[in-house]
Amino acid sequence: MALTISCPVCGKRNGYEFRYGGEDKGPRPDEKGLTPRTWCDYAHMNACVAGVQKEWWCHKNGCGVWFTIHRNTLTNLEVDGPEVTS
Amino acid sequence: MFQRFRPLWGKRPHLNSSYDAVIIGGGLHSLATAYFLAKEQGMSNVAVIEQRFIGFGGAGRNTAIVRANQRTQENVPLYKEALELWPILTKELDYNLMFNNCGNLNLMHSEAAMNAARMNVCTAQFHGVESHLLDPKQLKEVEPTINTSPDITYPVHGAMFHPPGGVIRHDAVVWGLAKGAARHGVHIHQQTEATAILTDGGKITGVETTRGRISAPRVLVSAGGYSAGIINRMLGIKLPISVLTIQAMVTQPLKPVLNHVVSSGMYHAYANQTLKGEIATGAHMDPWPNYTTLTTAHYIKHQAEALSEFLPFLRGVKFMRHWAGLADMTPDMAPIMDGNDPIEGFYMNCGWGYFGFKSCTATGRHMAAFMAKGECPERLKPFGLKRYENHRLMGETAALVTYTPDN
Repeated sequence: MALTISCPVCGKRNGYEFRYGGEDKGPRPDEKGLTPRTWCDYAHMNACVAGVQKEWWCHKNGCGVWFTIHRNTLTNLEVDGPEVTS
Repeated sequence: MFQRFRPLWGKRPHLNSSYDAVIIGGGLHSLATAYFLAKEQGMSNVAVIEQRFIGFGGAGRNTAIVRANQRTQENVPLYKEALELWPILTKELDYNLMFNNCGNLNLMHSEAAMNAARMNVCTAQFHGVESHLLDPKQLKEVEPTINTSPDITYPVHGAMFHPPGGVIRHDAVVWGLAKGAARHGVHIHQQTEATAILTDGGKITGVETTRGRISAPRVLVSAGGYSAGIINRMLGIKLPISVLTIQAMVTQPLKPVLNHVVSSGMYHAYANQTLKGEIATGAHMDPWPNYTTLTTAHYIKHQAEALSEFLPFLRGVKFMRHWAGLADMTPDMAPIMDGNDPIEGFYMNCGWGYFGFKSCTATGRHMAAFMAKGECPERLKPFGLKRYENHRLMGETAALVTYTPDN
Protein backbone atom coordinates (compact mmCIF):
# COMPACT_ATOMS: atom_id res chain seq x y z
CA MET A 1 0.00 0.00 0.00
CA ALA A 2 1.11 3.52 -0.63
CA LEU A 3 2.81 5.13 2.30
CA THR A 4 3.91 8.69 3.09
CA ILE A 5 6.71 9.21 5.55
CA SER A 6 7.85 12.41 7.24
CA CYS A 7 11.59 12.79 6.90
CA PRO A 8 12.92 15.13 9.61
CA VAL A 9 14.98 16.90 6.94
CA CYS A 10 12.90 16.75 3.74
CA GLY A 11 9.35 16.59 5.13
CA LYS A 12 6.54 14.38 3.83
CA ARG A 13 7.73 12.14 0.98
CA ASN A 14 6.62 9.00 -0.88
CA GLY A 15 7.42 5.84 1.10
CA TYR A 16 9.23 4.24 -1.82
CA GLU A 17 12.05 6.79 -1.34
CA PHE A 18 12.78 5.23 2.03
CA ARG A 19 14.31 2.01 3.30
CA TYR A 20 12.63 0.33 6.24
CA GLY A 21 15.15 -0.19 9.04
CA GLY A 22 13.29 -2.52 11.37
CA GLU A 23 11.32 -2.24 14.58
CA ASP A 24 12.84 -0.03 17.24
CA LYS A 25 14.50 -2.40 19.71
CA GLY A 26 16.31 0.15 21.85
CA PRO A 27 20.09 0.54 22.00
CA ARG A 28 22.43 -2.15 20.66
CA PRO A 29 23.20 -4.57 23.51
CA ASP A 30 26.50 -4.17 25.31
CA GLU A 31 29.30 -6.44 24.01
CA LYS A 32 30.18 -7.27 27.59
CA GLY A 33 28.33 -10.40 28.68
CA LEU A 34 26.54 -10.64 25.34
CA THR A 35 24.93 -14.05 24.86
CA PRO A 36 23.77 -15.58 21.56
CA ARG A 37 20.22 -15.24 22.90
CA THR A 38 20.42 -11.48 23.54
CA TRP A 39 22.15 -10.89 20.23
CA CYS A 40 19.57 -12.97 18.39
CA ASP A 41 16.77 -11.02 20.10
CA TYR A 42 18.33 -7.78 18.96
CA ALA A 43 19.26 -8.88 15.46
CA HIS A 44 16.29 -11.01 14.42
CA MET A 45 13.30 -11.02 16.74
CA ASN A 46 10.28 -8.84 16.01
CA ALA A 47 7.08 -8.03 17.87
CA CYS A 48 5.03 -8.00 14.61
CA VAL A 49 2.51 -5.63 16.15
CA ALA A 50 -0.81 -5.26 14.38
CA GLY A 51 -1.20 -1.63 15.42
CA VAL A 52 1.14 1.24 16.24
CA GLN A 53 4.85 0.49 16.32
CA LYS A 54 8.00 2.59 16.61
CA GLU A 55 10.34 1.86 13.74
CA TRP A 56 13.49 2.99 11.97
CA TRP A 57 13.68 4.41 8.46
CA CYS A 58 16.44 5.72 6.24
CA HIS A 59 15.75 8.31 3.56
CA LYS A 60 17.71 6.17 1.08
CA ASN A 61 16.80 7.96 -2.15
CA GLY A 62 16.93 11.35 -0.49
CA CYS A 63 19.02 12.98 2.20
CA GLY A 64 20.18 9.66 3.73
CA VAL A 65 19.17 10.45 7.31
CA TRP A 66 18.14 7.70 9.76
CA PHE A 67 15.18 8.43 12.03
CA THR A 68 12.26 6.81 13.85
CA ILE A 69 8.53 7.25 13.33
CA HIS A 70 5.38 5.72 14.78
CA ARG A 71 3.22 3.95 12.20
CA ASN A 72 0.03 1.93 12.39
CA THR A 73 0.73 -1.34 10.58
CA LEU A 74 -3.00 -1.93 10.07
CA THR A 75 -3.53 1.27 8.08
CA ASN A 76 0.01 2.21 6.96
CA LEU A 77 -0.55 5.68 8.36
CA GLU A 78 2.07 7.56 10.28
CA VAL A 79 0.86 8.60 13.73
CA ASP A 80 2.14 11.15 16.24
CA GLY A 81 3.14 8.81 19.02
CA PRO A 82 2.59 5.45 20.66
CA GLU A 83 -0.95 4.19 21.08
CA VAL A 84 -2.47 5.44 24.31
CA THR A 85 -3.81 2.57 26.36
CA SER A 86 -5.68 3.69 29.43
CA MET B 1 -28.59 -25.49 -7.10
CA PHE B 2 -31.51 -24.07 -5.13
CA GLN B 3 -31.16 -26.27 -2.08
CA ARG B 4 -30.64 -24.85 1.38
CA PHE B 5 -27.14 -23.62 2.14
CA ARG B 6 -25.10 -26.10 4.11
CA PRO B 7 -21.32 -26.10 4.44
CA LEU B 8 -19.62 -28.82 2.46
CA TRP B 9 -17.95 -30.07 5.63
CA GLY B 10 -21.22 -30.69 7.46
CA LYS B 11 -23.24 -28.99 10.12
CA ARG B 12 -21.80 -26.35 12.38
CA PRO B 13 -20.42 -28.28 15.38
CA HIS B 14 -21.02 -27.42 19.02
CA LEU B 15 -18.02 -25.78 20.70
CA ASN B 16 -16.91 -28.27 23.34
CA SER B 17 -15.32 -27.14 26.58
CA SER B 18 -12.33 -29.39 26.02
CA TYR B 19 -10.39 -30.88 23.10
CA ASP B 20 -7.23 -32.95 22.78
CA ALA B 21 -5.79 -30.28 20.55
CA VAL B 22 -6.80 -26.78 19.48
CA ILE B 23 -5.46 -25.33 16.25
CA ILE B 24 -5.56 -21.56 15.90
CA GLY B 25 -6.09 -20.47 12.31
CA GLY B 26 -8.37 -21.91 9.65
CA GLY B 27 -6.01 -22.01 6.73
CA LEU B 28 -4.43 -24.85 4.82
CA HIS B 29 -1.68 -25.69 7.28
CA SER B 30 -4.23 -25.89 10.10
CA LEU B 31 -6.75 -27.93 8.14
CA ALA B 32 -4.05 -30.29 6.87
CA THR B 33 -2.68 -30.76 10.39
CA ALA B 34 -6.18 -31.45 11.72
CA TYR B 35 -6.90 -33.85 8.88
CA PHE B 36 -3.75 -35.88 9.45
CA LEU B 37 -4.14 -35.77 13.25
CA ALA B 38 -7.54 -37.40 12.87
CA LYS B 39 -6.73 -39.71 9.99
CA GLU B 40 -3.22 -40.91 10.73
CA GLN B 41 -2.59 -40.20 14.42
CA GLY B 42 -5.94 -41.30 15.83
CA MET B 43 -6.59 -37.94 17.46
CA SER B 44 -9.96 -36.73 16.26
CA ASN B 45 -11.04 -34.68 19.26
CA VAL B 46 -9.53 -31.63 17.61
CA ALA B 47 -10.84 -28.09 17.10
CA VAL B 48 -9.77 -25.72 14.36
CA ILE B 49 -10.69 -22.19 15.39
CA GLU B 50 -10.80 -19.44 12.83
CA GLN B 51 -11.56 -15.76 13.45
CA ARG B 52 -13.22 -15.21 10.06
CA PHE B 53 -13.89 -18.08 7.65
CA ILE B 54 -11.68 -20.94 6.54
CA GLY B 55 -9.41 -19.98 3.67
CA PHE B 56 -9.76 -16.24 4.38
CA GLY B 57 -6.00 -15.62 4.49
CA GLY B 58 -3.14 -16.90 2.41
CA ALA B 59 -5.02 -20.11 1.60
CA GLY B 60 -7.41 -18.23 -0.66
CA ARG B 61 -5.07 -15.45 -1.81
CA ASN B 62 -2.05 -17.31 -3.15
CA THR B 63 -1.58 -17.85 -6.87
CA ALA B 64 -1.96 -21.61 -6.50
CA ILE B 65 1.50 -22.54 -7.77
CA VAL B 66 3.12 -25.74 -6.51
CA ARG B 67 6.72 -26.79 -7.04
CA ALA B 68 9.64 -28.54 -5.39
CA ASN B 69 12.68 -26.75 -6.81
CA GLN B 70 13.79 -24.93 -3.68
CA ARG B 71 17.43 -24.38 -2.84
CA THR B 72 18.45 -26.40 0.22
CA GLN B 73 18.56 -30.06 1.08
CA GLU B 74 16.33 -29.51 4.13
CA ASN B 75 13.59 -27.82 2.14
CA VAL B 76 13.45 -29.76 -1.11
CA PRO B 77 12.33 -33.13 0.38
CA LEU B 78 9.48 -31.44 2.25
CA TYR B 79 8.14 -29.77 -0.90
CA LYS B 80 8.70 -32.95 -2.89
CA GLU B 81 6.54 -34.83 -0.44
CA ALA B 82 3.86 -32.15 -0.74
CA LEU B 83 3.96 -32.32 -4.53
CA GLU B 84 3.55 -36.09 -4.46
CA LEU B 85 0.60 -35.82 -2.07
CA TRP B 86 -1.73 -33.91 -4.43
CA PRO B 87 -2.86 -36.86 -6.58
CA ILE B 88 -3.14 -39.06 -3.49
CA LEU B 89 -5.23 -36.49 -1.63
CA THR B 90 -7.48 -35.93 -4.63
CA LYS B 91 -8.52 -39.57 -4.29
CA GLU B 92 -8.41 -39.76 -0.53
CA LEU B 93 -10.54 -36.63 -0.01
CA ASP B 94 -12.83 -37.64 -2.85
CA TYR B 95 -12.61 -34.08 -4.07
CA ASN B 96 -11.23 -32.75 -7.33
CA LEU B 97 -8.31 -30.52 -6.40
CA MET B 98 -7.75 -29.70 -10.09
CA PHE B 99 -4.03 -30.44 -9.98
CA ASN B 100 -2.53 -29.38 -13.27
CA ASN B 101 1.16 -30.32 -13.32
CA CYS B 102 1.96 -28.12 -16.28
CA GLY B 103 5.55 -27.53 -15.16
CA ASN B 104 7.43 -24.47 -13.97
CA LEU B 105 9.86 -22.37 -15.97
CA ASN B 106 12.20 -20.03 -14.12
CA LEU B 107 13.71 -17.58 -16.57
CA MET B 108 17.39 -16.70 -16.20
CA HIS B 109 18.64 -13.37 -17.47
CA SER B 110 22.42 -13.65 -17.06
CA GLU B 111 25.16 -16.25 -17.09
CA ALA B 112 25.53 -15.81 -13.32
CA ALA B 113 21.84 -16.66 -12.96
CA MET B 114 22.33 -19.72 -15.16
CA ASN B 115 25.09 -20.86 -12.79
CA ALA B 116 22.85 -20.36 -9.78
CA ALA B 117 20.14 -22.34 -11.59
CA ARG B 118 22.66 -25.09 -12.30
CA MET B 119 23.21 -25.49 -8.56
CA ASN B 120 19.46 -25.48 -7.92
CA VAL B 121 19.02 -28.18 -10.55
CA CYS B 122 21.77 -30.27 -8.92
CA THR B 123 20.03 -30.08 -5.54
CA ALA B 124 16.72 -31.08 -7.12
CA GLN B 125 18.20 -33.98 -9.05
CA PHE B 126 20.07 -35.20 -5.96
CA HIS B 127 16.72 -35.47 -4.19
CA GLY B 128 15.07 -37.15 -7.13
CA VAL B 129 13.09 -34.11 -8.25
CA GLU B 130 12.90 -33.63 -11.99
CA SER B 131 14.52 -30.34 -12.91
CA HIS B 132 16.82 -29.36 -15.74
CA LEU B 133 18.20 -26.43 -17.68
CA LEU B 134 16.98 -25.17 -21.02
CA ASP B 135 18.86 -22.93 -23.42
CA PRO B 136 16.85 -20.15 -25.13
CA LYS B 137 16.15 -22.30 -28.20
CA GLN B 138 14.82 -25.22 -26.14
CA LEU B 139 12.85 -22.75 -24.03
CA LYS B 140 11.21 -21.31 -27.13
CA GLU B 141 10.20 -24.84 -28.20
CA VAL B 142 8.73 -25.62 -24.78
CA GLU B 143 6.96 -22.29 -24.31
CA PRO B 144 6.68 -20.35 -27.60
CA THR B 145 5.03 -17.32 -25.97
CA ILE B 146 8.21 -16.27 -24.18
CA ASN B 147 10.19 -13.44 -25.72
CA THR B 148 13.72 -14.78 -26.25
CA SER B 149 14.83 -11.92 -28.48
CA PRO B 150 17.88 -9.98 -27.28
CA ASP B 151 16.20 -6.56 -27.53
CA ILE B 152 14.39 -6.52 -24.19
CA THR B 153 15.60 -4.96 -20.92
CA TYR B 154 16.72 -8.32 -19.51
CA PRO B 155 17.30 -10.78 -22.36
CA VAL B 156 16.60 -14.42 -21.52
CA HIS B 157 19.72 -16.60 -21.27
CA GLY B 158 17.86 -19.79 -20.52
CA ALA B 159 15.54 -21.32 -17.98
CA MET B 160 15.24 -23.83 -15.18
CA PHE B 161 12.52 -26.29 -16.14
CA HIS B 162 10.72 -28.21 -13.39
CA PRO B 163 8.11 -30.41 -15.13
CA PRO B 164 6.35 -31.95 -12.07
CA GLY B 165 5.29 -28.57 -10.66
CA GLY B 166 2.22 -26.66 -11.72
CA VAL B 167 -0.96 -25.22 -10.33
CA ILE B 168 -3.76 -26.53 -8.18
CA ARG B 169 -7.09 -24.96 -7.25
CA HIS B 170 -6.40 -23.46 -3.82
CA ASP B 171 -10.06 -23.14 -2.73
CA ALA B 172 -10.65 -26.77 -3.62
CA VAL B 173 -7.77 -27.72 -1.32
CA VAL B 174 -9.34 -25.71 1.53
CA TRP B 175 -12.78 -27.26 1.00
CA GLY B 176 -11.42 -30.75 0.39
CA LEU B 177 -9.30 -30.76 3.54
CA ALA B 178 -12.12 -29.25 5.60
CA LYS B 179 -14.47 -31.93 4.33
CA GLY B 180 -11.89 -34.66 5.00
CA ALA B 181 -11.07 -33.37 8.49
CA ALA B 182 -14.74 -33.00 9.45
CA ARG B 183 -15.50 -36.51 8.19
CA HIS B 184 -12.85 -37.81 10.60
CA GLY B 185 -14.45 -35.93 13.50
CA VAL B 186 -12.55 -32.63 13.59
CA HIS B 187 -14.59 -29.60 14.70
CA ILE B 188 -14.17 -26.56 12.49
CA HIS B 189 -15.29 -23.40 14.28
CA GLN B 190 -15.49 -20.34 12.09
CA GLN B 191 -16.05 -16.84 13.45
CA THR B 192 -14.34 -17.95 16.64
CA GLU B 193 -11.42 -15.78 17.59
CA ALA B 194 -8.72 -16.90 20.00
CA THR B 195 -8.19 -14.14 22.53
CA ALA B 196 -5.67 -15.80 24.84
CA ILE B 197 -3.59 -18.95 25.11
CA LEU B 198 -3.73 -20.28 28.65
CA THR B 199 -0.71 -21.76 30.39
CA ASP B 200 0.01 -23.04 33.87
CA GLY B 201 3.46 -23.89 35.19
CA GLY B 202 5.04 -23.92 31.72
CA LYS B 203 2.31 -26.09 30.25
CA ILE B 204 -0.51 -25.32 27.87
CA THR B 205 -3.92 -25.58 29.52
CA GLY B 206 -6.26 -24.16 26.91
CA VAL B 207 -7.44 -21.31 24.78
CA GLU B 208 -9.76 -18.40 25.55
CA THR B 209 -12.03 -17.62 22.63
CA THR B 210 -14.77 -15.15 21.85
CA ARG B 211 -17.22 -18.04 22.28
CA GLY B 212 -15.87 -19.29 25.57
CA ARG B 213 -12.98 -21.10 27.16
CA ILE B 214 -11.63 -24.36 25.76
CA SER B 215 -9.30 -26.53 27.79
CA ALA B 216 -6.69 -28.45 25.83
CA PRO B 217 -3.24 -29.86 26.51
CA ARG B 218 -1.97 -28.93 23.03
CA VAL B 219 -2.27 -25.73 21.05
CA LEU B 220 -0.91 -25.13 17.59
CA VAL B 221 -0.66 -21.63 16.18
CA SER B 222 -0.69 -21.98 12.45
CA ALA B 223 -2.40 -18.79 11.36
CA GLY B 224 -0.21 -17.81 8.41
CA GLY B 225 0.81 -14.16 8.42
CA TYR B 226 -1.04 -13.53 11.67
CA SER B 227 0.92 -16.19 13.62
CA ALA B 228 3.89 -14.08 14.73
CA GLY B 229 1.65 -11.33 16.10
CA ILE B 230 -0.57 -13.85 17.90
CA ILE B 231 2.37 -15.72 19.43
CA ASN B 232 3.99 -12.52 20.66
CA ARG B 233 0.75 -11.02 21.98
CA MET B 234 -0.49 -14.14 23.72
CA LEU B 235 2.71 -15.81 24.90
CA GLY B 236 5.36 -13.09 24.72
CA ILE B 237 7.50 -15.15 22.34
CA LYS B 238 9.09 -13.00 19.67
CA LEU B 239 9.86 -14.52 16.30
CA PRO B 240 12.29 -13.53 13.55
CA ILE B 241 9.42 -12.64 11.27
CA SER B 242 8.39 -9.59 9.27
CA VAL B 243 4.84 -9.52 7.95
CA LEU B 244 4.57 -8.00 4.50
CA THR B 245 1.65 -7.48 2.13
CA ILE B 246 2.11 -9.34 -1.16
CA GLN B 247 0.02 -8.61 -4.24
CA ALA B 248 -1.34 -10.62 -7.16
CA MET B 249 -3.74 -10.01 -10.04
CA VAL B 250 -5.49 -11.70 -12.94
CA THR B 251 -6.12 -10.56 -16.49
CA GLN B 252 -9.31 -11.02 -18.46
CA PRO B 253 -9.75 -14.65 -19.63
CA LEU B 254 -7.93 -15.70 -22.79
CA LYS B 255 -7.97 -18.84 -24.90
CA PRO B 256 -5.33 -21.42 -23.82
CA VAL B 257 -2.01 -19.83 -24.68
CA LEU B 258 0.43 -20.11 -21.79
CA ASN B 259 1.31 -23.72 -21.02
CA HIS B 260 3.60 -23.37 -18.00
CA VAL B 261 4.07 -21.38 -14.84
CA VAL B 262 6.63 -18.82 -15.97
CA SER B 263 8.60 -16.80 -13.44
CA SER B 264 11.39 -14.30 -13.65
CA GLY B 265 13.42 -13.10 -10.69
CA MET B 266 14.91 -10.26 -12.69
CA TYR B 267 11.56 -8.90 -13.87
CA HIS B 268 10.20 -9.74 -10.44
CA ALA B 269 7.06 -11.32 -11.83
CA TYR B 270 5.52 -14.70 -12.44
CA ALA B 271 2.52 -15.73 -14.51
CA ASN B 272 0.42 -18.77 -15.27
CA GLN B 273 -2.83 -19.33 -17.07
CA THR B 274 -5.61 -20.63 -14.85
CA LEU B 275 -8.07 -23.25 -16.04
CA LYS B 276 -10.57 -20.40 -16.48
CA GLY B 277 -8.17 -18.75 -18.94
CA GLU B 278 -7.12 -15.78 -16.84
CA ILE B 279 -3.42 -15.05 -16.56
CA ALA B 280 -2.71 -15.06 -12.82
CA THR B 281 0.35 -13.05 -12.02
CA GLY B 282 2.09 -11.62 -9.01
CA ALA B 283 5.22 -11.15 -6.93
CA HIS B 284 5.33 -7.62 -5.56
CA MET B 285 5.82 -7.39 -1.84
CA ASP B 286 5.57 -4.14 0.09
CA PRO B 287 9.08 -3.31 1.31
CA TRP B 288 7.76 -2.44 4.79
CA PRO B 289 5.84 -4.61 7.26
CA ASN B 290 2.08 -4.08 7.33
CA TYR B 291 -1.19 -5.96 7.74
CA THR B 292 -3.20 -3.87 5.28
CA THR B 293 -3.56 -6.39 2.40
CA LEU B 294 -4.14 -3.36 0.18
CA THR B 295 -3.10 -3.15 -3.44
CA THR B 296 -1.17 -0.40 -5.24
CA ALA B 297 -1.22 1.31 -8.62
CA HIS B 298 2.59 1.25 -8.36
CA TYR B 299 2.50 -2.50 -8.76
CA ILE B 300 -0.05 -2.66 -11.61
CA LYS B 301 2.32 -0.47 -13.60
CA HIS B 302 5.33 -2.63 -12.72
CA GLN B 303 3.51 -5.80 -13.66
CA ALA B 304 2.27 -4.42 -16.97
CA GLU B 305 5.78 -3.30 -17.90
CA ALA B 306 7.41 -6.59 -16.91
CA LEU B 307 4.86 -8.89 -18.55
CA SER B 308 4.74 -6.97 -21.81
CA GLU B 309 8.49 -7.54 -22.14
CA PHE B 310 8.92 -11.24 -21.46
CA LEU B 311 5.39 -12.34 -22.39
CA PRO B 312 4.62 -9.88 -25.19
CA PHE B 313 1.32 -11.54 -26.13
CA LEU B 314 -0.09 -9.91 -23.02
CA ARG B 315 0.33 -6.38 -24.39
CA GLY B 316 -3.05 -4.70 -24.40
CA VAL B 317 -4.72 -7.39 -22.27
CA LYS B 318 -6.63 -5.91 -19.34
CA PHE B 319 -6.19 -6.72 -15.68
CA MET B 320 -9.48 -7.78 -14.21
CA ARG B 321 -8.92 -8.29 -10.48
CA HIS B 322 -6.15 -7.36 -8.09
CA TRP B 323 -5.77 -8.50 -4.48
CA ALA B 324 -3.23 -8.96 -1.73
CA GLY B 325 -2.42 -11.20 1.21
CA LEU B 326 0.17 -11.49 3.94
CA ALA B 327 3.58 -13.11 3.76
CA ASP B 328 5.48 -13.73 7.00
CA MET B 329 9.11 -13.53 5.98
CA THR B 330 12.02 -14.95 7.98
CA PRO B 331 15.64 -13.81 7.54
CA ASP B 332 16.61 -17.13 5.92
CA MET B 333 13.50 -17.58 3.76
CA ALA B 334 12.68 -20.85 5.52
CA PRO B 335 9.76 -21.59 7.85
CA ILE B 336 9.71 -22.06 11.61
CA MET B 337 8.17 -25.27 12.92
CA ASP B 338 8.73 -26.00 16.56
CA GLY B 339 7.00 -27.31 19.63
CA ASN B 340 7.21 -28.01 23.37
CA ASP B 341 9.80 -25.27 23.76
CA PRO B 342 9.65 -23.17 25.89
CA ILE B 343 6.04 -24.15 26.75
CA GLU B 344 5.01 -27.78 26.90
CA GLY B 345 2.13 -28.44 24.55
CA PHE B 346 2.64 -25.29 22.52
CA TYR B 347 3.37 -25.78 18.83
CA MET B 348 3.98 -23.29 16.08
CA ASN B 349 4.08 -23.49 12.31
CA CYS B 350 4.79 -20.14 10.68
CA GLY B 351 7.29 -18.03 8.76
CA TRP B 352 6.27 -19.58 5.47
CA GLY B 353 6.54 -16.32 3.59
CA TYR B 354 5.01 -16.69 0.17
CA PHE B 355 5.49 -20.47 -0.13
CA GLY B 356 3.11 -21.79 2.51
CA PHE B 357 0.61 -23.01 -0.04
CA LYS B 358 2.84 -25.47 -1.85
CA SER B 359 3.99 -27.10 1.38
CA CYS B 360 0.76 -27.25 3.36
CA THR B 361 -0.10 -30.95 3.07
CA ALA B 362 3.33 -32.42 3.85
CA THR B 363 3.81 -29.94 6.69
CA GLY B 364 0.39 -30.74 8.13
CA ARG B 365 1.24 -34.41 8.10
CA HIS B 366 4.53 -33.92 9.97
CA MET B 367 3.06 -31.39 12.40
CA ALA B 368 0.30 -33.89 13.18
CA ALA B 369 2.91 -36.54 14.01
CA PHE B 370 4.80 -33.95 16.10
CA MET B 371 1.67 -33.03 18.08
CA ALA B 372 0.47 -36.59 18.59
CA LYS B 373 3.80 -38.06 19.67
CA GLY B 374 5.30 -34.95 21.28
CA GLU B 375 8.56 -35.60 19.48
CA CYS B 376 9.80 -33.61 16.53
CA PRO B 377 9.94 -35.70 13.35
CA GLU B 378 13.34 -35.81 11.61
CA ARG B 379 12.06 -33.88 8.63
CA LEU B 380 11.07 -30.89 10.77
CA LYS B 381 14.14 -30.81 13.04
CA PRO B 382 16.14 -28.36 10.90
CA PHE B 383 13.28 -25.83 11.09
CA GLY B 384 13.39 -25.17 14.84
CA LEU B 385 13.37 -21.65 16.24
CA LYS B 386 16.71 -22.15 18.01
CA ARG B 387 18.54 -22.11 14.68
CA TYR B 388 18.59 -18.31 14.73
CA GLU B 389 20.18 -18.16 18.15
CA ASN B 390 22.71 -20.80 17.10
CA HIS B 391 23.56 -18.95 13.90
CA ARG B 392 22.40 -21.90 11.83
CA LEU B 393 20.32 -19.93 9.35
CA MET B 394 19.33 -21.89 6.27
CA GLY B 395 20.75 -21.28 2.83
CA GLU B 396 17.34 -20.79 1.29
CA THR B 397 18.24 -17.11 0.77
CA ALA B 398 20.26 -18.40 -2.19
CA ALA B 399 16.98 -19.26 -3.91
CA LEU B 400 16.28 -17.34 -7.07
CA VAL B 401 14.34 -14.45 -5.62
CA THR B 402 14.92 -13.28 -2.09
CA TYR B 403 13.32 -10.54 -0.20
CA THR B 404 12.78 -9.47 3.34
CA PRO B 405 12.36 -5.93 4.58
CA ASP B 406 16.00 -6.18 5.65
CA ASN B 407 17.64 -6.25 2.26
